Amino acid sequence: MRIAVVLGRVLDPRGIVVNRRAGRIFINREEYILQPADRCALEAALRIKDAASAEVVALPRTFLPDDDVLCQALATGADRAIYLTGGPLGADEALMARVLVAAIAKLGGADLILTGATTMDTGQSQLGPRLAEALNWPQVLNAWAVETADGAARAVVNAGAGYVQVEVDLPAVITLLPGALKPRYPRGTQLINIYRGVGEIAQALEQWPAADLVEEAALTPVVERRGQDFPPERERGVRLTGSPEEVARAAAEALRKRLPR
Amino acid sequence: MDASFLDLLMAQQEEVTEAEGGGGIWVVADVVNGAVAPVTLEAIGAARNLAGSLGAYVYAVLLGDGVSGLAPTLYQAGADGVRVADDPSLATFAVEPYLEVLSDLFQAEQPEVIIFGATPQGQALAPRIAQRMGGGLLEHVVAMTLDEATRTVQASVPIYGGEYYEIMACPQARPQVLAVEPGAFPAPFMDPYRKGEPKSVEVKPAEPRVRVLGPAEEFTPPAVPLSQAPVVVAAGRQAGDFSLVEQLAARLGGRVAGDRGARDAGWISPEQIVDIRGVTVAPQVYVAVGIRGDTFHNAAVENAHFILAIHPDPTAPIFQVADLCIEADPKEVLPALIAALEQ
Repeated sequence: MRIAVVLGRVLDPRGIVVNRRAGRIFINREEYILQPADRCALEAALRIKDAASAEVVALPRTFLPDDDVLCQALATGADRAIYLTGGPLGADEALMARVLVAAIAKLGGADLILTGATTMDTGQSQLGPRLAEALNWPQVLNAWAVETADGAARAVVNAGAGYVQVEVDLPAVITLLPGALKPRYPRGTQLINIYRGVGEIAQALEQWPAADLVEEAALTPVVERRGQDFPPERERGVRLTGSPEEVARAAAEALRKRLPR
Repeated sequence: MDASFLDLLMAQQEEVTEAEGGGGIWVVADVVNGAVAPVTLEAIGAARNLAGSLGAYVYAVLLGDGVSGLAPTLYQAGADGVRVADDPSLATFAVEPYLEVLSDLFQAEQPEVIIFGATPQGQALAPRIAQRMGGGLLEHVVAMTLDEATRTVQASVPIYGGEYYEIMACPQARPQVLAVEPGAFPAPFMDPYRKGEPKSVEVKPAEPRVRVLGPAEEFTPPAVPLSQAPVVVAAGRQAGDFSLVEQLAARLGGRVAGDRGARDAGWISPEQIVDIRGVTVAPQVYVAVGIRGDTFHNAAVENAHFILAIHPDPTAPIFQVADLCIEADPKEVLPALIAALEQ
């Protein structure tokens, strides 16, 4: 069984400060981390590999300026990693779906695609369903856990206030929630070997130019960034007055607007 | 004075007629517990604003079993036309049956803009429709404007949970698919005199490819560390009744924590102390119940996105860092707050 894991990176939010009044973003420390949900997808793939024999292939969720994410995936336990080059950096999901479908075809197909349910910065959750549509595969979104057996995958997903187990025949696309699994760490010695180009693991990182996968016209981004906007400056110390019931109603309304969905 | 003739006059004026030739702005309705979800009405309101500039009509699509009776609500919210796919096979949401109906409809109508709610249903369907039709998708849209020269929707999407917004557009791709964030757009005026005749949509059978096996009774989600919890309800010495704090945390789906006073009272363990010498938090919502807020505590919560503080002392330092302040005894406010959240 071959599992394709699609991984991306995100600028560590602890290194940035957004100044709403100035309308500027200050990057104090430019440090990238693996997208938390993608990290869970990698962990899910490695758990399946541990339980049953499977080949785990890491692919990037967008075009990246370096192969750090893929090196980390290899050092964590992936068997192969494909560094896609030659496309626009930070390309959108529509473009990447085309490229990834071609890359998976070049791999010789896959039985399961795992990726993060959402990105930490932009909150995008469309790559998994786009891949499912392009490949005409079923999709399971926002899974907490995944296991495979007898040509099918089982996943745990939210259902109302509880959880249900769902099953889907392979091949399929499954997206993992951030925090769904406790991810393992990359092994330091393996990382050193990859960066030094020593040993078998260094050979597991391949570089594929996008132009070999799709036509040049397919590398045109669909989404265009046209600027930034900043919310109004945070107003602190707003006092609620009235009876306990009145202030409670106003506070409940404010909480509902801000609760994570 | 009998003013019933006014009703008749207005009803005649507001009879909706549809345009021929396809295009337009289409809103895919979310139905929750037998009612149209508020996000759908908000999306229709946003679509109406776009439609005014685009010179386009607004259509809504209802899918489900026994949902035909909801069509008048969509007209009242501002839809010029409503399509209804009312079939027992659509009783519970599944990707394949819903996708087949929408795909056939949109292939025939060739919409210029399609709007979904940024809900689980929209999250599952919008990318697949966009991919199938070669469209661009912008998710979690909280504001939109129109580039009239190119008839392109420019959408603001939150970055890092709303720290700032990127303005994005899909100028070349059609349809332009948008998933709008619930609560981001104002609810439209519901015009009771706005009426129309919904059209039925053919529903072809499509088998769901995901099988629900049953409740995952043995599954428990991994515990999120307090430092990463999205919602934290913390108690201080003035909280009074700690069980109310626990009830509020359960209602908000949050983690219980506290300051050193709560630890001294025996309500929390040392690992639950929010303090720069203990745990530093950065949740979406932080509720400080009866916490006075010393320097160590306030520094540990300064990265919280929203802080609600309840304390009887108007000079409590917690009010300097809180977004919303309630000067009252928590014992009086918490029962009302829990009741208000349950409504």
